Amino acid sequence: MTVYESDLPGVGKKFEIELDDGGRLVIVTHNTGKREVFVKPEADADSEKLFEASDRLARKIGTILEGAYFQPVQADQVETVLSDDTHIEWYDVSETAEVAGRTLAELDIRNRTGVSIVAIQRGEELISPPTPETALEVGDTLVAIGHREDCDRFEELLGTGLDG
Amino acid sequence: MATETALVDVGVLFVAVALAGVVSSRIDQSVIPFYIVAGVLLGSNVLGELPALPGSQVGIGGITVTVPTVTVGGVDPFAAVGGLALGETDFIVVGAEIGIVLLLFFLGLEFNLSRLIASRDRIGRAGAVDLLVNFGIGFAFGYVVFGGFLAAFLTAGIVYISSSAIITKSLIDLGWIANDESEPMLGTLVFEDLFIAVYLAIASALVLGGGNVREAAGGIAVAVGVILALLGVATFGTGFLQRFLDTDTNEFIVLRALGVTILVAGIALGLGVSEAVAAFFVGMAFSSTDHVHDLEQLLEPLRDAFAAVFFFWIGLVTDPGLFTLSIVGAIVAAVVVTTPTKLLTGFLGGRIYGLDDRRSLRVGFGMTTRGEFSLIIASLALSGAGGAIPEATVQTIYAFTVGYVLVMSILGTSLMQYSRRIEPVAVSLLDRARNGTGR
Repeated sequence: MTVYESDLPGVGKKFEIELDDGGRLVIVTHNTGKREVFVKPEADADSEKLFEASDRLARKIGTILEGAYFQPVQADQVETVLSDDTHIEWYDVSETAEVAGRTLAELDIRNRTGVSIVAIQRGEELISPPTPETALEVGDTLVAIGHREDCDRFEELLGTGLDG
Repeated sequence: MATETALVDVGVLFVAVALAGVVSSRIDQSVIPFYIVAGVLLGSNVLGELPALPGSQVGIGGITVTVPTVTVGGVDPFAAVGGLALGETDFIVVGAEIGIVLLLFFLGLEFNLSRLIASRDRIGRAGAVDLLVNFGIGFAFGYVVFGGFLAAFLTAGIVYISSSAIITKSLIDLGWIANDESEPMLGTLVFEDLFIAVYLAIASALVLGGGNVREAAGGIAVAVGVILALLGVATFGTGFLQRFLDTDTNEFIVLRALGVTILVAGIALGLGVSEAVAAFFVGMAFSSTDHVHDLEQLLEPLRDAFAAVFFFWIGLVTDPGLFTLSIVGAIVAAVVVTTPTKLLTGFLGGRIYGLDDRRSLRVGFGMTTRGEFSLIIASLALSGAGGAIPEATVQTIYAFTVGYVLVMSILGTSLMQYSRRIEPVAVSLLDRARNGTGR
């Protein structure tokens, strides 16, 4: 998992990421914000360009790769298993929830329940990642990552229970 | 020389460079030589000669043809087309100066002293090899061909400095930017850029100060004073510049940055210091603020537009008639001598960065490209014509540089493009040479 970073004077920055198959992914971030993504079959091979993306598009691709981007889903209870015991879950902040109107820092969710909130969907807006200053609002959809029992604790905190 | 500019002339200028850009991108070449050629063609020396053509005799390979006098609908087409020829108007001259200022401003903006210091070992060694060999060869060549210390000093700079603009663009276009060869190239360019800032300061003091070192001492003292003042601003003025640019509207950022840069460059020129050097240090002063990214994005189109005017102007004041057999000979000699030297120093630079033969060779291919800075030195020589250097020598050096840059920019770009085909042959030759000496 080594990442090599180097400066390209007058151009921007270059990041090389070692891949599992011995190849390398090369990302050139231009000063203009444009990203160019290349792949090298091996460390000393020539780079083959895969694609380029504008600053905005690159960030969107990044959030998808990060696993934080999603399209709002209609179901009340969506559950995705990442590995044996880690889940991504979507929760709605209901009108009765006591957490509404309080910031993440105040709520201290990670220490109290063990889950991490990686994104908040608020209407058309996606807050990813939320900062400690982000306040939860009624109607928010929270994306949380945690173990099974952490998620259960978080559900209790939200006061939703398993009503789905 | 400067005359009044009509709006239509500026229109013709920009259409010409736009068309030059279309042609260059069609055939995958660097755009700079095409801007210059557009300037030559539209200048008073080519297009301006058209009205005199009818009735005159033109010799083509031993056959003399008298150009007939034609009228189309009562208009002499030669005179009509010839009327489009552009003179060296105020707009073009000042536009070219702004082009130089913005080119160097960007160099300073992207110049990062801490980066240079962080990798000073490799950049220093690769840059020193590059400087010693190419500047030395250039100086010797200039001394033999043009005679005199100052002419040799100018030629040394013209031959030594590779083109940051063309090389960087080619690296991105070919996708080499993601390969290991981009680092020694860009690193060496950083070294060259720093050197050229100092060099331009000395060269302009020599050229404007009468050419002899003792007379120029005053000029150099002023230049050093101005540069030290600018360095002081670059070092201690960050906070002020930061606040100065703190505004949310792009319009104000552009106007403030342009205001400071062009005013400082103009004052420097008034004091007899190279406007290019002043612009470089202003750029450096801005480089430590948080606005670098904004400035780069906002000013880049402006820089490109005015740089095109600069290259066009270079062509405009070039008289093709100057390319006598002896100058063409000098250009050919310079190409033959200084292509291998850059190939060699680039190759060694690649080796210093620990690259293999093939990639080191690519560094050499890229570094052979000469461009905008050689032309800036040539335009500096023009400004000292008749004073420090005899008028005839200046014209010779100028024509030599234009021809040399036309060849080297196309040659360097082509070497990079066809590198894949040349590499295997060259690498096997290198191997054979090594084994031959190893036995």
